[in-house]
Order: sequence, then C-alpha cells, then structure tokens
Amino acid sequence: MTCAFYLYIDPGSGSYLVQMIIAAVLGGLFFFKNIWWKIKAFFTRSKPNPSTKKKE
Amino acid sequence: MRTYQQHPSSFRDPSGFVFESAGKLYRQINLSYARHYESLMSSGLYHLLTTQGWMISHQEVESDTNASSARFKTIMPQFIPFITYPYEWIFEQLQDAALLTLKVMKTAMDHNMILKDATPYNIQFVGAQAVFIDTLSFENYDELQPWIAYRQFCETFYFPLLVEQYTGLEIHKVFAAYPEGIDASTTASLLPGKARFNIGNWLHVYLSASFSGKERQSKIEFNRRKLERIMQDLHQRITSLKPRTKSKSHWKNYYAESILNNKYLSHKQEVISGLLRKIDPHSAIDLGCNEGIFSKMLAKSVSMVVAVDSDAPSVSNLYSEAKKDRLNIIPLCVDLANPPGDAGFYNSERKSFTNRISFDLVLALALVHHLCIGKNLPLEKVADFLSLTRRWLIIEYVPPGDEKVLELARNKPALLDDYTEDTFLRSFQRYFTVTDEQAIRGSERKLFLLDKK
Repeated sequence: MTCAFYLYIDPGSGSYLVQMIIAAVLGGLFFFKNIWWKIKAFFTRSKPNPSTKKKE
Repeated sequence: MRTYQQHPSSFRDPSGFVFESAGKLYRQINLSYARHYESLMSSGLYHLLTTQGWMISHQEVESDTNASSARFKTIMPQFIPFITYPYEWIFEQLQDAALLTLKVMKTAMDHNMILKDATPYNIQFVGAQAVFIDTLSFENYDELQPWIAYRQFCETFYFPLLVEQYTGLEIHKVFAAYPEGIDASTTASLLPGKARFNIGNWLHVYLSASFSGKERQSKIEFNRRKLERIMQDLHQRITSLKPRTKSKSHWKNYYAESILNNKYLSHKQEVISGLLRKIDPHSAIDLGCNEGIFSKMLAKSVSMVVAVDSDAPSVSNLYSEAKKDRLNIIPLCVDLANPPGDAGFYNSERKSFTNRISFDLVLALALVHHLCIGKNLPLEKVADFLSLTRRWLIIEYVPPGDEKVLELARNKPALLDDYTEDTFLRSFQRYFTVTDEQAIRGSERKLFLLDKK
C-alpha cells in the first residue's frame, strides 16, 4: 500500500537528499585531496628546486 | 479562428509552445515564463551560448497569429534541418549531448540561472555538432536548492551511458526500451557486481536506488559550491566513459578484407561522383552507410547528409571523423528493417524515422541484398520503401551469384528464386524511371540512377 503511494511523488523532488549526500561525500574527498596536496607540496618544496639551483 | 497549428510535440512545458504558421516554426513564450526569459536575454547568457554555438539562436517576432491571452512574446527559433532522437544515436553522441548539457548548465549558473530540465530530447545535431535547442529550459537560480533536473539528467544521460559501458547494451537499444531514461533501481539491477566498487557508481546509482521513492522534498539548505562540485563530478565521470562495443564491429574493414577489391571501390566512387554531378542534390541520405566512404563523398557537394547504419561501431567511426572535420553529416544508428516508429503521447510527439525522411537523394549502396536475403524482405517491398526519396535513388544491384549474397543465402537458398535482376528492375520500375545504369568494374554488380515517377 505504501509503495503505491510513493509512486505518485513528483520525480523532480526525489533526488534532493541524494544530492545532499553526494555533495557532502565529494566535499569530504576534496578536503582530503587538499590535505594530500599540501603534504606533497611540503615535501617537494623542501627539496632543492633544480631550476633555481641552475641560476645560482 | 485559429490560423496556426500547435506542434504535436509541444504541450508538456507550461512556459510556452511551438506552433507552425505558413510553413514556419514559431514558439510562443507565455507570461508565466516572462521573468525567466528576460533574465536569459539580459544576463548575457543567451548571447554567450549562441555565439559559442552551444544553443540555437532565435528572433523575436511581432506576431498576432494566435490570440492567446497567455502570450508574452513569440520567437522564431533557428531552423534544425533534420530532427533525431536518442534511440537513433550512438554512445558518443549521447556522451557529447550530456557534456553539452553540463556545459550549458555551468554557463547558466555563472549567469545566475539553471536548467529546469535535462534530457537528450533538448539536444539536436547540426552535422556532427550537438546543439541545445530548448530556449525555455532556463530558470532563475535559487542557491538554496539542489538541481531540480539532477535525477532526470542521470536517468536520461548518465545511466544509459553506464549501462552501455558495463554491459555493451547499445544506446539506441536502451532508448528503444526506455525512451524516458532508466531509473536508478533498474540501472543498479542491470550493472554487474564489479560496478559497486566505483565510488561514482555508488554515489549516483546505488545510493539513488536505495532512496528511490522514500523521500520528500528536503528542507536542508544547499549552496552553489555543493552544486558546482556535483556538476564537476558528473562532468569528469561522463568524460571518462567508453563504449564497450567499440572493438566488435561486423563491418569494420568491410572493404579492406572483402574480395571487393580496389578496382571495384575506385570505379564505384568514380561512377557515383559522375552521377552526383549530373543530379546535383541539396540533401541526401546514405542508407547502409558502413563507415561512410560515400557519405563523406556526398558531404563535399551536398549541404545536408544523413548517414544511417545498424552497426554502432561503424557509425561511431564516422561520427568521430565528421565531428573532427566538421563535416555536414549526421550519422545515425538505425536498423532499416525495424526503424523507430511514431512515439510519445498519442503517438504524435515524435515522428517515425520514415516520416522524417525527405531528401533529394537516397543512396542505397550494397544494401538491397541485406534487406532481401538478410532480412527476408521481398524486392517489391524494398522498392516501395526506397520510394520515400523526394526525387533520386542511386542503388547498387548485387547479383545472386555475388559472394556476399551467397554468404547471406547459405541457410535460406529458397530466397534466391525471386532475387533476380529481372524482378529487381520490375519492382523498382513501379516507382521509378531508370535514368542511368552502369556496371561496376571488378565485380558483377551494377549501379542504377533512378528518378521517382
């Protein structure tokens, strides 16, 4: 009975919660990727840069 | 009295409707859509989309053809020479249509608007370039809301592409079965188990499938950055999809591998280019185009060419070439023995494939034996079908002794009894006059130029 009721929900409204979750997960991934880039950047920066070395 | 005819495919959108008056197509914009239309035009969005060639342009016209009280404005949209539908497209065409939709959506967001719907029926092809055709799809953007058309976008673009990538079920067949797209639960049941191990599939397919029918409009607030992230994610995922069927063509290398030698092919090209000079058509359709050797030849002198084949990988090759070189060819994947019929509500929203065909020239090369022997269609029926040309038919007659015919007739030799040059000519002369007839060197085959009676 409940199933039949839900069939009449406007298709456009059904994806709101899903989009909330997707946005949250993607936001989380973005956050961790950012940290990863920062760590990577930290280690690459600490190495002597070959191009600057040449100039010196 | 009404002097206009509302277009049978235009009644679902309350923002306006398309109508025909004196042989031209117009679109009425209703008062209810006025403020969105004003934003589209004044924000610079319309200008940007049309100058980039992403959306069709239109002209506002002073029209009193319909005395509708709901009327705000009337526009005359840019003419689209040949309308096609996703159940005639290949994977790459749907993929390009999806990416264009996302691009239009992103541009709209930059101008504080969004797309209120997202379906492949809002995309058409001019040559091999996808173009957005629904001027009335834009709405002012409310940043607190997620994308109203997200689900529709997934069901009609993303999921069919995923299904082809994972199962090999081709786009035109997916849309023949699901003209309005595949919902998340059905997609989830079609995808193989390994699809679960992909975070994109998990988010867009399995999550949606587990929620289907279990929620109502949420009151949680959304924002622009979140929506941009979803758009970007969809864009990346769709860009990286690939059709699984790519390597399995029956027809690839048809000319390279068959006994049909170079002499045959070059003479055939020579004869056809001579015939084309003689008849000088403005539009042409190449039925059974294979990889489009002759469609490309047509495109050099004919302003509009449609190329049709039932083999998706062949169509795909032609499409990528036509797209790259900006050729005036619309490649389509259609089984001529079972072309798409009238579809949609009242069978009148979308015309059948056959009823959309109106070309000066029909090219039917190495086709007739596939229909007659391969699909058991009598020559009389084939002649009747090909008389859908506006005037000319160039047809290749493949004799019963031909290697390809014998191959097709191996298990049904009885079909060869009625497959003779005599029956061929008798059948076609019912509808056509023979204007020219030339044997193709290096084979027993013949080319006929026929003029419709």
